[in-house]
Amino acid sequence: MSAPRHTLDELQRWMQGVITHPEGAAAGIESPSAQEQVGVGASQVEQVVTRSRTLSAIERLDIYNRAYFGRLLECLREEYSVLAFALGEELFDAFAVGYLQTHPSTSYTLGKLGESFPEYLAASRPARDGDTQADWPEFMVDLARLERIVNEVFDGPGSEGRPLLTGERLQEVPADRWPNARLICAPSLRLVELKFPVSEYFGAAHRKETAPVPPARDSFVAVNRQEYRVRRYELTAPQHALLAALLAGESVGSAIERAAALSPAGDDQLAADLSEWFHTWTTAAFFRDVVG
Amino acid sequence: MPPRLGHPDLGLGVGLRTAHFGHILREWPAVDWFEIISENFVDSQGRPAYVLDQVAERYPVVMHGVSLSIGSTDPINFEYLEKLSALARRVKPHWISDHLCWTGVAGRNTHDLLPMPLNEESLSHVVERVGIVQNVLERPLVLENPSTYVTFADSTMPEWEFLSRLTEETGCGLLLDVNNVYVSSVNHDFDPIEYLNRVPHDRVVQFHLAGHTNCGTHCIDTHDGPVIDPVWDLYARARRLTGGVSTLLEWDASIPAFPVVHAEVQKAKQYFGDCSGRASPAAEPRRAVAPRSTKAVSNPVAFIVADSE
Repeated sequence: MSAPRHTLDELQRWMQGVITHPEGAAAGIESPSAQEQVGVGASQVEQVVTRSRTLSAIERLDIYNRAYFGRLLECLREEYSVLAFALGEELFDAFAVGYLQTHPSTSYTLGKLGESFPEYLAASRPARDGDTQADWPEFMVDLARLERIVNEVFDGPGSEGRPLLTGERLQEVPADRWPNARLICAPSLRLVELKFPVSEYFGAAHRKETAPVPPARDSFVAVNRQEYRVRRYELTAPQHALLAALLAGESVGSAIERAAALSPAGDDQLAADLSEWFHTWTTAAFFRDVVG
Repeated sequence: MPPRLGHPDLGLGVGLRTAHFGHILREWPAVDWFEIISENFVDSQGRPAYVLDQVAERYPVVMHGVSLSIGSTDPINFEYLEKLSALARRVKPHWISDHLCWTGVAGRNTHDLLPMPLNEESLSHVVERVGIVQNVLERPLVLENPSTYVTFADSTMPEWEFLSRLTEETGCGLLLDVNNVYVSSVNHDFDPIEYLNRVPHDRVVQFHLAGHTNCGTHCIDTHDGPVIDPVWDLYARARRLTGGVSTLLEWDASIPAFPVVHAEVQKAKQYFGDCSGRASPAAEPRRAVAPRSTKAVSNPVAFIVADSE
């Protein structure tokens, strides 16, 4: 029995290079990374991979090559279905193919496949097209960031099956303890700072409805999961400052000071606002407990 | 070694898919058992995990993975194995399976089930790794024959021989995917009946059935339709040779409503008790196998990341 001409490691590194080449298997065979492992050209590849009765070796390798991009593009389209709808399939796929080349999967889970896609889009976005156009590339980056976080919240840690902070429990806290109290936030609660108010557009695109790209303005969104349903909550700047401080573990007093610094409302109005906000957020399962 | 490694014949099951979560939780359909894709659940802390816990309370469950990469020359991913173990402690599967394949090398994962060169070096490599994995999982591993589209000039043995020696040397079991036998037999011009005759029948723990795409010059394992009649014929033969084992239908793309998937696997009953090796007379017209023009993608995995129903 003759010894194999190529080690298992050489064959695997070679084949991976061939089937992940964006220009097809023949180009992959000639690529430096493949040649480094198995030094045969496309015309001699049947020394490595046999032909079948109906297909040449390159045609057979191209089945894997097409499937590699087809399969992972489909996964990214699923994960970023809102962004894909907004961009259209052709443009989305162009970005996604570029992303797969610079960020190939290195994990056992497809859950991490798209984790750097928003950053990739931000780094590869086309330049703004003059002053007359809305900065749609930046808008799409915001949309991708929000969609990634919605997906992370969907399957990440949550509060289901565990006790949550109720309005009754909040009212039991004596007024003099509030400034130093700390609220334990739900593990699913995430905050997003965006350059565009994308949440409304996100909802429309999720329903496969077209909507105009809104003008740029600083925007804040809370994303949380309750009974396995993910919801988005648009926030004002004071609300965002307050929740961000609470998530960072600051006391309620300190968090309220951060909100007050950004709020145009007077003390009485702010007190009324705070009462309403905490009622809304408690109902929306933002908090698990109050301590201190 | 007892037949099926001592595992029970669970009957006719289907793959647990996100698209069917709502139906299953509402109807609790009378399916014999579910197979889960392990990677869908090892990290889940959301609704998929919740649904799985509900399902595992009511049905027999088997864990089927796609990322073990048992044939890769990369180091074994022990973090992944620990997560499999933790999931197994939670859902108590009857067995844990994956594929005879590699999914990537040099730290990458193509998320495909890539073919092994079948020779002494690769057999020795896989034997060693199966032993390590079985020690971590504290149970025999069950490995599936994949659909493949290339063969290597360096291969020195047929797949059935590789699998036979692998089971002999490691004690692992086989998940015999009858559709994959058919697909590979078309792609590599071998006789599927000889393949079925030669695999070690007492090591077959489970069958897979699925639809595939006939591209004229080759077949692609697309899991996107009903099982074709030639595959049912092979299934009948495989049942006769093994005495019958747990049977599972995979439907992973263009997924229809749950009752359609369930009805498809129920067709297997037409092939029970047939000892001739020939299919029973079909109760419905047999489907022609016309080539389809297609951009078919093998081993669809998008259902793994789908987050909605």
